[in-house]
Amino acid sequence: MNSRSPLARRETPVAWLFLAPSLAGIAVFLVLPILVVIWLSLNRWDLLSPMRFVGLANWGDIVTEPTFGHSMLVTIAFVLMVIPLQTALGLGTALLLSRGLPGSAVFRVIYVIPWICAPLALGVVWKWIFAPYGGALNALLGRNIEWLTDPNLALPVVAAVSIWSQVGYVTLFFMAGLAGIPPTILEAAALDGANAWQTLWRVKLPLLGPTLFFVLVTGVISSFQAFDQIYALTPNGGPQGATDVIATRIYLQAFGGSFDLGRASAMALVLFVVLIIVTLAQQRFFAKRVTYDLS
Amino acid sequence: MTNNLTRRGLLAGLAAGGLGIAGLAACSPAQQGGNDQPGTGGTGGSGSAAGGATGTVTVRLWDEQVQKAYDEGFAALMAKNPGLTVKTVLVPWADYFTKLRTDVAGGNADDIFLMNGSYIEPYITSNNILEIGADFDDLKQGWIQPAIEQYTKDNRLWGVPQLTDGGIGVYYNKALLDEAGVTPDDISTLNWGGSSDTYIAMAQKLTKDTAGKRGDEAGFDGTKPAQWGSSAAQDLQGIYYNFLGSAGGQFQDADAKFVFASPEGETAFSYLVDLINKYKVAPAASNTNANGDFTRDQFLQGKIAMFQSGTYNLKNVSDGAKFEWGITMIPAGTQGRVSVVNNTVVCGNAASKNAAGTTAVLRWLGSPEGAGYVGKSGAALPAVSGAQQSFADFWSAKDVDPSVFAQQGQEKSIAAPAGSNYGAAVTAFKPIFDEMFLGRKPVAEALKEAQEAANKAMAG
Amino acid sequence: MAAPIRFAGRRRSVPTAAITYVVLAAGAVLTLAPFLMSFLTAFKSPSQFASTSPLSWPSPFTDENFATLFTESGFVSPIAVTAQVVVVVVIGQLLFSIMAAFAFARLNFRGRDVLFWVYLATMMVPQVVTVIPLYVMFTQVGLRNTFWSLVLPFVFGSPYAVFLLREYFRGIPEDIISAAKIDGAGSWRILWLIVVPLSRPIIATLAVITVVTHWNNFMWPLIITTGKDWQVITVATAALQGQYNGNWTLVMAATTIAMAPLLVLFTIFQRTIVNSISLTGFK
Repeated sequence: MNSRSPLARRETPVAWLFLAPSLAGIAVFLVLPILVVIWLSLNRWDLLSPMRFVGLANWGDIVTEPTFGHSMLVTIAFVLMVIPLQTALGLGTALLLSRGLPGSAVFRVIYVIPWICAPLALGVVWKWIFAPYGGALNALLGRNIEWLTDPNLALPVVAAVSIWSQVGYVTLFFMAGLAGIPPTILEAAALDGANAWQTLWRVKLPLLGPTLFFVLVTGVISSFQAFDQIYALTPNGGPQGATDVIATRIYLQAFGGSFDLGRASAMALVLFVVLIIVTLAQQRFFAKRVTYDLS
Repeated sequence: MTNNLTRRGLLAGLAAGGLGIAGLAACSPAQQGGNDQPGTGGTGGSGSAAGGATGTVTVRLWDEQVQKAYDEGFAALMAKNPGLTVKTVLVPWADYFTKLRTDVAGGNADDIFLMNGSYIEPYITSNNILEIGADFDDLKQGWIQPAIEQYTKDNRLWGVPQLTDGGIGVYYNKALLDEAGVTPDDISTLNWGGSSDTYIAMAQKLTKDTAGKRGDEAGFDGTKPAQWGSSAAQDLQGIYYNFLGSAGGQFQDADAKFVFASPEGETAFSYLVDLINKYKVAPAASNTNANGDFTRDQFLQGKIAMFQSGTYNLKNVSDGAKFEWGITMIPAGTQGRVSVVNNTVVCGNAASKNAAGTTAVLRWLGSPEGAGYVGKSGAALPAVSGAQQSFADFWSAKDVDPSVFAQQGQEKSIAAPAGSNYGAAVTAFKPIFDEMFLGRKPVAEALKEAQEAANKAMAG
Repeated sequence: MAAPIRFAGRRRSVPTAAITYVVLAAGAVLTLAPFLMSFLTAFKSPSQFASTSPLSWPSPFTDENFATLFTESGFVSPIAVTAQVVVVVVIGQLLFSIMAAFAFARLNFRGRDVLFWVYLATMMVPQVVTVIPLYVMFTQVGLRNTFWSLVLPFVFGSPYAVFLLREYFRGIPEDIISAAKIDGAGSWRILWLIVVPLSRPIIATLAVITVVTHWNNFMWPLIITTGKDWQVITVATAALQGQYNGNWTLVMAATTIAMAPLLVLFTIFQRTIVNSISLTGFK
């Protein structure tokens, strides 16, 4: 039934009624802000003085000044640290849990607990654990390591906390994906003499394509926007800006003492464009490689 | 079946309606009297300090001790003025000025707020605060002159003086001194810097590691501290401003341009950096850079022997220290003992919805009676001269002699930071100072870089 | 939960199982240790924390940190505010997303597919992009620091929810719906009488995800509210950490309170929640 048939025309007014609230919400709270942020990026405003139109000055600043480029690099480094490890650990855990050993259900529940808690609250707990004096980890190790104030350690530490929070959640997705693999295929592979490693690489992983795609896309998008935990652990961008990811940079630029809303808006727009590019790129990569047909 | 259809459709409709009602009726337990807009209604009065004022007035501040004193005072004020409600709101120092700006910009800042000379300029320029003009003339002669001068711009006064800090002193832990065989007199005439330095040796004597070795003994392991002799840290008002001044340096010049990257600045800052990283007689900067209260908390727990700070911590120390303590003078540099003398005012919000009530409460706070509560509680020295005796009385009753602060306040002083974009300047130079104090950046290079960044940010 | 995968021949040996358990147990310890340590710290007195190792067991067990939180720092209000926000947002999001998803899944109208792609596209807008303009917009209309400001941006439905629901709704057999249409039922009744009851699993899933997401929401409430009136739990926790920096017993008590409600809900509904997460996101 195409959308121009008589039946369709009758349903159209009803459809718009159903759509009205969510459409209004999207228009006002998603589309309109994007337009506003474009306009803000062309102005200079520090909240107290009147707004000043500066054209492309903010955009010029972003390109010439090092802070924004630095934040992008830090964010990319963060994503590269988090996503592969998180995905691999999630997959590995899912494989272990899918063996059906007794008690697997309990482990599964335990691993999901960090996902339930506010990333902010978890960040504060880890901040205590990593505190140089009075922190749990240094007390455990008996040494005084500067986890969050050493520029070489800060970003890996923050990435580790992020992975710790997300692994359980990723595991669940992979478990569901593994459960969706028909046993007949696995039996066929076993009959063909494939060992566990070969089965993993040649059979399971290709069939986990859709799951992998979903986990990677959502993982990359959310780690590009990581804010809560990083803000709790290193509220000012970390030692020498080591953990100054793009989301915290935008927040600090707008509300953190410098009060430069115009420049922060320009940065936010760049992030938006980058995310679109990354998502589309991932989509194209997977479009050729994903097997959907499991029959 | 018809009943089911109706019921389910009705449920959906009810849910939508319920949403609206819930949204309208949502309440926050934190609101008292259902009033979430500061300063509603009210008619003003004249004559007595708060005569006839009505409505609600909210007062924002960053200091807990001062808040307790104000609450007591406002209770008395409200008893005398039924119809007037005054509420205090505490915002922690770390967020105070960022929140203030967003709130003023958003139009819902409190009617009266505590203000610091370093941050006041943008609010004057943008006409966000009330001028303390003719309405207050009768009270002005009761206010101390330095405070009036600090907050006068273009011959107009912009805040009602409330607190004056006197100079900086050193709180010491008598028990730790006794244990090391040191008397309070020994630490009252210390010198720092150069060949006549006596501070380092004293601090080392008072520093111990977890194995019990003191800082001046062989085998001392500074990475495992059990107690520190000094509280050197990246603390502007308590520490580095004073060392800078005592070395003959300046933080800013008369035009509020930053000038700390000078030979004197290098002397002062490298001394502090060495105390922390070389001699390890003060806590590691990774603890103190991000936490302005770390040294205070450690002192209260009995882990620091000499805690350099001001009157703003007097009440905290008195309430929190479970050991015998005293106050003595700061160490002297080549220029003697120079410290910063800072005054704090309260400003009126120009966008207040209760202008008359705001003015009335401001007048009361500027009067000896109103300002007396802060003095009476010992929380801070009032900037209203008629109220200062209550401060002295309170502490003499407790057998504590805060005269060190007053004495230091009479000596040479270094001007408190100021400028139209001071907040942005701090955001610019603090990360560089962090690196310097952590010992990761050479002092001369760091000061130069920080000064450039700060001046650039100040220029907007 | 689907049957676990088993190899045709039982090639699993005991050592492999043992290694698996060791690895899983290590993971569990790593997951739970921070929670355990923070809970213990919350029950220590500040003086004990200052004088003994941070890892020592609380002795005595004291609730003074919690008492301080509730009397001096008023942690009750953030809990109440967060609960109200979550209730309103969950009801609104589910209600309006169900309606939109039904329209996309089962109604025919011009521009349906284009509009659906618009919805999907908005899913890619990062929160940090919209918070600044939303802050400016809400401030201009005077809604800054109000209950509405916490709720409005989210209450009208979520593109993610619409996406998931549409997939599910499309899977409902056509015959049932046609039968209802022949009976004379209009779209509204079809939705609420037939489609929704058949979609309970996905709706439960969405409810769970929405509750968790909005209970833990931080950036927007941080920006749009000030002071204690409309502080939500996450913002209150961060504020407490900033104010009592270094007073870890108090701060850990705050994080415990922040996490406790959802953890309690989780232990009660854990089976539903875990199954829900597995259910979402792909097909």
